[in-house]
Amino acid sequence: MKLVCDRIALSDALALASSVVPTRTTAAALSCLKFVARDGLLTISATDTEIGISTPVASVSISDEGEALIPADKLNQIVRASEDSTLSIDVNAKNVAVIKGQDSTFKIFGHEPREFPGVQAFPASKIEFETTAGMLGRLIHRTLFATAVDNSRYAINGVLVDRKGKKVRLVATDGRRLAVAKGECTRAGDGDAPQCIVPTKALNVLGKLLSDPDDPVAVARQDNLLIVRVGEGADAATLATRLVEGSFPPFEDVIPKEHDKRVTFDAGELTSAVRRAEILTNEESKGIRMAFGATQLVLSSRAPELGEAEITVDVEKYEGEPMEIGFNPKFIMDVLKVIDSPQVIIELKAPNKPGVIKAGNDFTYVVMPVSL
Amino acid sequence: MTGDATTSTRGWPRTILHVDMDAFYASVEQRDNPELRGKPVLVGGRGRRGVVGAASYEARRFGCRSAMPTGQALALCPHAIVVRPRFERYRADSDALMAILERFSPLVQPISLDEAFVDVTGSERLLGDGVAIARDIRRLVRAELSLTCSVGVAPNKFVAKLASDLEKPDGLTVLPPVGLAARLAPLALERMWGVGPVAAEALHRFGFRTFGDVQRANRDDFVSIFGDSGEHWYELSFGRDDRPVTIERTAASVGHEQTFGEDLRVAAEVERHLLAQAEDVAIRLRRKELKATRLTVKIRFGDFKTISRSTTLDSATDRTDVLCDAARKLFRAWAANGFRPVRLIGCTAGGLVEGPSQLGLFDVDRSEKQRAVDHATDLIRAKFGKGSIGRAGRPDADE
Repeated sequence: MKLVCDRIALSDALALASSVVPTRTTAAALSCLKFVARDGLLTISATDTEIGISTPVASVSISDEGEALIPADKLNQIVRASEDSTLSIDVNAKNVAVIKGQDSTFKIFGHEPREFPGVQAFPASKIEFETTAGMLGRLIHRTLFATAVDNSRYAINGVLVDRKGKKVRLVATDGRRLAVAKGECTRAGDGDAPQCIVPTKALNVLGKLLSDPDDPVAVARQDNLLIVRVGEGADAATLATRLVEGSFPPFEDVIPKEHDKRVTFDAGELTSAVRRAEILTNEESKGIRMAFGATQLVLSSRAPELGEAEITVDVEKYEGEPMEIGFNPKFIMDVLKVIDSPQVIIELKAPNKPGVIKAGNDFTYVVMPVSL
Repeated sequence: MTGDATTSTRGWPRTILHVDMDAFYASVEQRDNPELRGKPVLVGGRGRRGVVGAASYEARRFGCRSAMPTGQALALCPHAIVVRPRFERYRADSDALMAILERFSPLVQPISLDEAFVDVTGSERLLGDGVAIARDIRRLVRAELSLTCSVGVAPNKFVAKLASDLEKPDGLTVLPPVGLAARLAPLALERMWGVGPVAAEALHRFGFRTFGDVQRANRDDFVSIFGDSGEHWYELSFGRDDRPVTIERTAASVGHEQTFGEDLRVAAEVERHLLAQAEDVAIRLRRKELKATRLTVKIRFGDFKTISRSTTLDSATDRTDVLCDAARKLFRAWAANGFRPVRLIGCTAGGLVEGPSQLGLFDVDRSEKQRAVDHATDLIRAKFGKGSIGRAGRPDADE
């Protein structure tokens, strides 16, 4: 395999593919990136056996077609440290890769390309739905933050994908708060798709693939894999991920159906107030008190041996009796960071019942209070 | 040295008290049971593998010491009376002691149930100087607890602890900053904090036996021989120690463990003991208003090999059922991989947090009901005693 490529384009593709490469592995092939140069195109692939990614590299000129398996770590360092505008990569039959710039020659010992486990190709016949990168990226952004690292009862180290007709929603929870983001498909298969749970890491990588909001996205299922294609034709990138096994908690049951208090805030003002109240909380007292009244919300916090804070926010509109409730400020800040509407609505029932934060019709966030 | 009690602590840079109860567990037993007074008492396990937790001064005269196997202590003092420890009782007395200390300063640092540092530097203007406060503390402990304690008054923690030990029992010792090095010089290095038998032997090998020996050493040479510890010891030999009295608001962990008279050969039996421990841990967490985020099970075998297994809990909890479930899971996962007879089992809750508690989304009904159950059992225990109610299957259920 022999080719010359634009260093910046190569660097971008390497960074993306490397985000899948496992940091610690005993299998040498998994710590490598696979290069395939064929029909004028260079594709770089990586896998940790759970998630696989294949991404095309723009601006390449191939003089000898072929395949190569090159250690990701060293290749990345070389390409990032280089100041050349183009680099040539030449891999011989003994799997030695020679990377040349204007004043540099690197030799890296690669591996036999056949040792690479491969990345599942996109199965065009099994498309579940199609949408845009902008839409899918927005749904991921609004849910991914709410996933758990680990939980002994439920499979919540991932995001639930649920499609009914052309409506798709992503749901994430860590057992204390729950984010539900809804969107529309541009095209969808018949009927409803079976729900599936996509691992957090895969969605993190996928988020990076979705950088151009206008890119078309197709999502397919095959066995216990979810395969996503971003872009069109030969320029399309593919991500395949194993799905999380296990059961998602009964999230529909915990979304409150009724409320008797409803407050409307300017999103910016609420964000500023919560951020300031959070200053005087600490690891042990992770709660801020929120006292809702007809015209004002008073937030207060206390950190033992440090001090106290009190912040007052004007309420745009309050319906219901005054009420006091405690929340972990992080859970409120997390959601305020991802909603982009100028107004937020908080619905409440009682100090020991979940609160609901809404932004528009397509986003619902349920958060359990802390008992003060 | 008690004559020092006339010294004033006015003008000292800091005034630190070290308060140490005299033969605490044994004294509590003698106070509560007049028949034990004036007699050698050993508080501890009675069995073949029992260990002395505390020895009364009458028993100490025969050489009995805490942490000594009960059998050995009884060989030294065959007529000693062995009493089973009642930790609940000691804890109540300890709480009362700390409450007395807190009347004199907010800076109270408990070291164990029967020992604490008090920084009274800021209290002297209001409550009298350090020596007067020490006298008041000793008077209140005697009046309110019917127990005696020894108090050391010094410019820092290390010297205060050293001082309280000099005139034990029932002593008050003041070691003022002026002339301190000379006062410490004749003391054996074994009295130095952090110098155990091994370190002492190393020091002896180089000819250091007293504080004075270290004071006379060349600092650089001394440090080059003993490293970081050497630096610390050198400072301590002059009575220099600038560690602050810190308020430990949260215990690092809450745990129970039990050594069996005979190794237990049946897994289910070990599990019963473990679950009872988990329940007791939950009760103590609730009493201290703490919640645990981690649970550790410790298992020791007949050959003293010890293993431990830990799990992180989904959320901070003080619920009996959650802690018992976690302990059971850890134990069964270990037992399924090859059970061996068990000499000791222990259960410790760690990663403790206090304050407001985050509610969960998916176990609302269960947690509210279980909380009510825990609350009810806590009330019943408080009223009718420890054996009155507990989870079914506790090994001590019939007591």
